[in-house]
Amino acid sequence: MAGPSNDMQGGPAVNLFTDPMANAAMVYGSSLANQGKDIVNKEISRFMSVNKLKYFFAVDTRYVLKKLMILMFPYTHQDWEVRYHRDTPLTPRQDVNAPDLYIPTMAFITYILLAGMALGIQKRFSPEVLGLCASTALVWIIIEVLVMLLSLYLLTVHSDLSTFDLIAYSGYKYVGMIFTVLSGLLFGSDGYYVALVWSSCALMFFIVRSLKMKILPSISSDSMGMGSNAKPQLRLYITVATAVFQPIIIYWLTSHLVR
Amino acid sequence: MSGFDNFNTDFYQSSYSVDDQNQGSYGYSNSENPYNKQYGQYDYSQPTGYPSPGMMQPQQPYTGQIFQPTQTYTPSASQSMYSNSFEDEPPLLEELGINFDHIWQKTLTVLHPLKAADGSIMNETDLAGPMVFCLAFGATLLLSGKIQFGYVYGISAIGCLAMYCLLNLMSMTGVSFGCVASVLGYCLLPMIILSSFGVLFSLQGMMGIIITATIIGWCSFSASKIFISALAMDGQQLLVAYPCALLYGVFALISVF
Repeated sequence: MAGPSNDMQGGPAVNLFTDPMANAAMVYGSSLANQGKDIVNKEISRFMSVNKLKYFFAVDTRYVLKKLMILMFPYTHQDWEVRYHRDTPLTPRQDVNAPDLYIPTMAFITYILLAGMALGIQKRFSPEVLGLCASTALVWIIIEVLVMLLSLYLLTVHSDLSTFDLIAYSGYKYVGMIFTVLSGLLFGSDGYYVALVWSSCALMFFIVRSLKMKILPSISSDSMGMGSNAKPQLRLYITVATAVFQPIIIYWLTSHLVR
Repeated sequence: MSGFDNFNTDFYQSSYSVDDQNQGSYGYSNSENPYNKQYGQYDYSQPTGYPSPGMMQPQQPYTGQIFQPTQTYTPSASQSMYSNSFEDEPPLLEELGINFDHIWQKTLTVLHPLKAADGSIMNETDLAGPMVFCLAFGATLLLSGKIQFGYVYGISAIGCLAMYCLLNLMSMTGVSFGCVASVLGYCLLPMIILSSFGVLFSLQGMMGIIITATIIGWCSFSASKIFISALAMDGQQLLVAYPCALLYGVFALISVF
């Protein structure tokens, strides 16, 4: 035990790493980080369940490519029914009609970056303008989703459209917006208007066909409630109004980028 | 030597007792031999301030000195072994957790994007390599006159956070933030090549655009390859590569403009 005691010069250096104070500080720090992480997880899981959110991100490359094609050219797609498997909807990997959140999220971020680039090309770039663009787009999504939710609730439409579904469907317009802005940048103002008309028509068709399946069939399946049979036109109006809203928003959010 | 009075002697059990103080003066210095004979009883293998191994175990759990989750040997035995003699101490780099061989292996994985990646290299997350690459990127930007360290760090922080959320949602197994930061940092290496190229030639012509696009593709391809192999996600490589490409595109924007 007293043998190696002549190696004193190793003592101070080792002390730095084995000092109990440093170790205790490290442990405290890491426990603090863990506590912070737990608090964040708890707060987030109060508002939304992460598992439900994971359903929307269970995508693969084949699904994304097919969905993008459908968004741009929906006229040849035949079967718009969302398939179920014992009462739970199939994941986007297995059903191309299922809504997902990967495409809207990526499209939103791409749109913001593209807006920054477009402004940069026109020498109108500054980080504040980028933030303004981003928050404007975000606010319009929130408004649209809230209006949809409110109207569905007020008209007692028993559909299985959850909030995330509505976010997904209203986020699909960003794909059209990116296409429009790109063609506006590459081909000038004519290209912009042509692409605007094209993507508006495609998006309107897509929205009407997709939401028709979800909102309107609840007429026949809903045998209780007196009001449900009396207002099939109102549901149709909701669907059409949603569809008509899309090109207005696309024009509003992209025209200032392509002068 | 009177300083020994101030230590809580009940903090650690040592064989030192107050009586030993009377045996002449000594300094806490490196003149070992004189008091080797005097304090032959005293177990000087425990230097001051260092608790006995018995005390240490309940006091702190093992905090992972070398590799993060895999090593579980008890601290007390190793540390008391290490503190015993200078020759038995681990090398400094090993204690700090910097393993040059792994760093080199990961760098090679990035530099050969077409070779299949090994999923197990991401088991120990190390942030030393990515830190070096970030600093090198900032340094090459500095060479071309852009003092933008703040943007580099800010964008990498936001990008890492976004990729962390996305990968946790998309994969079956979760992923830790350190792993994401480590992979994204390693794949910044081709971007350093781009910015050092930008020091010599302007990147704003057609040639510059082609090179930039190639480098962005290279970075995001290797990042997605490592993520796919480490998280066992199938059929999602392009989906992971796209957000990486967006992130590296922003870095490229900084280098070019």
